[in-house]
Amino acid sequence: MAEFEPKIIAFVCNWCTYTGADLTGTSRIKHATNVRIIRLPCTGRIDFMLLMKAFARGADGVIVSGCHPNDCHYTSGNFHARRRWILFRSLLNFMGVDARRIIFSWVSAAEGAKWAEVVNTAVKEIRALGPYDEYKNLAPIRASWRTEHAG
Amino acid sequence: MSRIGVFVCHCGENISATVDCAGVAEAMSRVPGVVHSVDYKYMCSDPGQTMIKDAIKEKKLDGVVVSACSPHMHEPTFRRACAEAGLNPYLCEMANIREHCSWVHEKSEATTLKAIDLVHKMVEKVKKNQPLYSIKVPVTKTALVLGGGIAGIQAALDIANAGHKVVMVERSPSIGGHMSQLSETFPTLDCSQCILTPRMVEVAQHPNITLYTYSELESMDGFIGNFKVRIRKKARCVDEKLCTGCGLCTTKCPTKKIPSEFNEGLGMRSAIYVPFPQAVPNKPVIDKTQCTFFLKGKCKVCEKVCPTKAIRYDQEDEIIEVDIGAIVLATGFNVLGAEHFPEYGYGRYRDVIQGLQFERIASASGPTSGAIRRPSDGTEPETIVFIACAGSRDEAKGIPYCSKICCMYTAKHAMLYKHKVHHGKAYVFYMDIRAGGKMYEEFVRRAIEEDDVKYIRGRVSRIYEEDGKLIVKGADTLLGHQAIEIRADMVVLASAAVANDGAEELAQKLHVSYDPYHFFAEAHPKLRPVETNTAGIFLAGACQAPRDIPETVSQASGAASKVAALFSQSELTREPVIAVVNRIAPPLYSTCTGCALCVPACPYQAIEMEEIKNRDGVVVKRAAKINPGLCQGCGTCVALCRVKAIDLQGFSNEQVFAELMAL
Amino acid sequence: MQDKIIQKAKELLSGGAVQVVIGYGQGTGDRVRAIFIQKPEDAGRLIMDGRCVQNLAGYLMKHEVRALGRAAIVARMPVLRSIAQLMYEEQFKDSDVAVIGISDANELVDLPDLNALKEYVRANPLKLTPEEQAEVDRLDAMTREERWAFWMEETSKCIKCYACRASCPMCYCARCTVEVNQPQWISVPSHDLGNLEWHIMRAMHLAGRCVNCGECTRACPVGIPLRLLNQRIIADIADNFGEEEDYALAAFKPDDKEDFIR
Repeated sequence: MAEFEPKIIAFVCNWCTYTGADLTGTSRIKHATNVRIIRLPCTGRIDFMLLMKAFARGADGVIVSGCHPNDCHYTSGNFHARRRWILFRSLLNFMGVDARRIIFSWVSAAEGAKWAEVVNTAVKEIRALGPYDEYKNLAPIRASWRTEHAG
Repeated sequence: MSRIGVFVCHCGENISATVDCAGVAEAMSRVPGVVHSVDYKYMCSDPGQTMIKDAIKEKKLDGVVVSACSPHMHEPTFRRACAEAGLNPYLCEMANIREHCSWVHEKSEATTLKAIDLVHKMVEKVKKNQPLYSIKVPVTKTALVLGGGIAGIQAALDIANAGHKVVMVERSPSIGGHMSQLSETFPTLDCSQCILTPRMVEVAQHPNITLYTYSELESMDGFIGNFKVRIRKKARCVDEKLCTGCGLCTTKCPTKKIPSEFNEGLGMRSAIYVPFPQAVPNKPVIDKTQCTFFLKGKCKVCEKVCPTKAIRYDQEDEIIEVDIGAIVLATGFNVLGAEHFPEYGYGRYRDVIQGLQFERIASASGPTSGAIRRPSDGTEPETIVFIACAGSRDEAKGIPYCSKICCMYTAKHAMLYKHKVHHGKAYVFYMDIRAGGKMYEEFVRRAIEEDDVKYIRGRVSRIYEEDGKLIVKGADTLLGHQAIEIRADMVVLASAAVANDGAEELAQKLHVSYDPYHFFAEAHPKLRPVETNTAGIFLAGACQAPRDIPETVSQASGAASKVAALFSQSELTREPVIAVVNRIAPPLYSTCTGCALCVPACPYQAIEMEEIKNRDGVVVKRAAKINPGLCQGCGTCVALCRVKAIDLQGFSNEQVFAELMAL
Repeated sequence: MQDKIIQKAKELLSGGAVQVVIGYGQGTGDRVRAIFIQKPEDAGRLIMDGRCVQNLAGYLMKHEVRALGRAAIVARMPVLRSIAQLMYEEQFKDSDVAVIGISDANELVDLPDLNALKEYVRANPLKLTPEEQAEVDRLDAMTREERWAFWMEETSKCIKCYACRASCPMCYCARCTVEVNQPQWISVPSHDLGNLEWHIMRAMHLAGRCVNCGECTRACPVGIPLRLLNQRIIADIADNFGEEEDYALAAFKPDDKEDFIR
């Protein structure tokens, strides 16, 4: 039987992690294909509801990544984001949502190798956890356009 | 229904080697709303761009997705191409299938499927894109330069010579800063005053420069191109228009025993004083904390002797308001005070002095007219010890950083001493010699080899007085930590350069950030070294970090060129990626609840509360308002807003949501 | 206590300091309900006893109540906290409200203006009682799967009547995000996903603002222990960020601690 390929959605900031992932590319560091990046200006912009909606859309895991503390392009967006995550993660855990499926990281524009590692580790961990059927079964999910039309 | 065009780039073989580009284009052609989907070898080439432009016109596209490299690479290219074909550039998005896909995965079906996802999500995003228009902000072409040291002087002159107005504010009675205190400068040993004074005069006489000395910044409002600043011009108690600078008042003033700040306490000044003979402006100021009239209510000698009747005891502080387009921060540095060196006896032994004091002693205009003399008894020191890294690179003193200038000025001090006291012995205790700079290493070698200055690698543990000598105890780490004891006549500490007094307070007034040592923080340590995170505020000189004169001057010119570039246009064009508060029909007017919780969260102080009025002028609602001049588009407020009343143009809730739902 | 409140209400109304006093009065059967006293002679209808726990602060935000003029409100600690928070959120001016404050020790507190109220609230920071903490801990002690089962069981009862929202003084938004449909943040149906999303969102929107009055739990017609969610966050804020900020999510410390970011 084919290995389970988790669907992972990453929300990353434009200035550090997105650029870091660009560097992963220019450095040709191969890694798993499971992650789809959604680019936002700053981790401060990442609404906690987006993370919920990612699971509702059928994600098995979510990556949230931005600039290291003190390196934020906008000075303090990541500090605000960090507070939000501390509370949000605890709340999810308290509600029994599997918080292990949300991977938070700081990846700078210089850390191309780290991004590849974050992706590979996330894929490995989420694969071990299996599909997030518990959440997917809450409500029927419409298959994505791609799975219906493009294989 | 949307009319989207998808353009899949092969990037030579960079993408097509692992991704089936034709397959991606074919898949996209079946997405509802896509009316045109092609692949091509080089989308960014001239023919590639022409393909896009032609398709926009022929197929009447209302959205374009270029699936190629990172938007950091070519987003401006393709947006420009769209604009040239008459499509709003913000209706063009890029799907990154090179850096984020073809380059990081092997050729496989999964790689192509990922590419399809990445392109498809951008197609769904573009459907929700709105045309955006660059933001135009008017620019007031007057610069404010805070600080009148060499950094401020250079920046002011460069900006003024570019034809723009400059307002310079200096908090002490004269411009000149620390450089005016220096004797000679490394590595050329030319006289500091000789090269500085002409520039000081040029500032005073420049038709484009308005100079406010003995003044401080009171407050700052507004944003790039449109700052409003209030300057407090402290009362000099002298009518500057009448005063001719004859100096009679200073010579007749009966209070003469006040330690001179300019001479670092080694000389004396009167209560009404000009800090130094070459001061600009050459107008005295009354030190109210020392003047007999202000302390006891009588004296008025200066008033009696003044030939032009320029003394004004009742003069009050004046608040001056100016409109400013850009600000250059050049407030300089300070040196670590005496209280930090109990082990060296600084402050206890009069012949233990710090570097700036030595500058005054060595200076021809100083208290000893340039003769090297001990402060205690005025004798010529036979043996002198210089201690580098006094405080610097010392976690225990809270200064882990290198003060950068000390290695060079210590070599200079030792050299100046040897040039004046030929038979004298000069020792330098150092940790490392950092002499990176043009002719710097050669300069230090000269001190060691030609002027016979003894360099000892090691730290001084203790200094104490014995029989009129200063006993310097240390160790030579190059000789296996051999204990060393030198009986010195004088000790000079290269005390650490630290942030200037009030730097933190000033940073808060200006909304610029500062580092843990209270030096102002640059926007990017490498690529934006003279900008701050607040648009329109620039940095020059040692207020950012310790630096020497050549670096300071080049940075000041750099800051000035940034200002000149800003002033080269009457309007500033900014990316419209900013947050906006929604407006909806009455009775809500906006879904904003007016809770104002976003206000403290904004890193740029760009949010304020406004009153929404109806047609009768009655206030119907209070709502947040985002200043488009200040907003940098981080979106922190957007995620914070419970009611989604704030949205971010270019990364709106609908756009991001559409992307997510496509996956 | 009741007499003192009646006395104070009379004074405020007859002196013209306020036009309406919001307090507790006799409701149907044995229940108490909010009453709005506009004449000094009606002040005798005010009640204060163990049944009077409803957080009345929400009424201060209603147009209908505001139209009556300046209001005084009978306020126990949670109500005082609500008013302080609403003040921070710029929903009140001093001229809008007077309070008849009652301390946790069941004594009248003299709070001449809203600044005094703010100081009083500041001096009595929000903390969970040992019993409340024990209940939060009880859930924390479960396995994740048990917690999931617990909340699935609870939220499956939800009928999305929004009584929790209607009863909460902090839920004053003119258009709640649950009603936003461009994009559709919260799934509309009252199925498991819609219910879960709604309750996560509500808890997060109250993070740093909830005063732990428990009104949501009392209002819930199907008995979901909603306040537990808020209590978890209240404890997290106190543990992680301290208590000094007015709104923890609009502030930060550069060295805020966490142990999960890689």
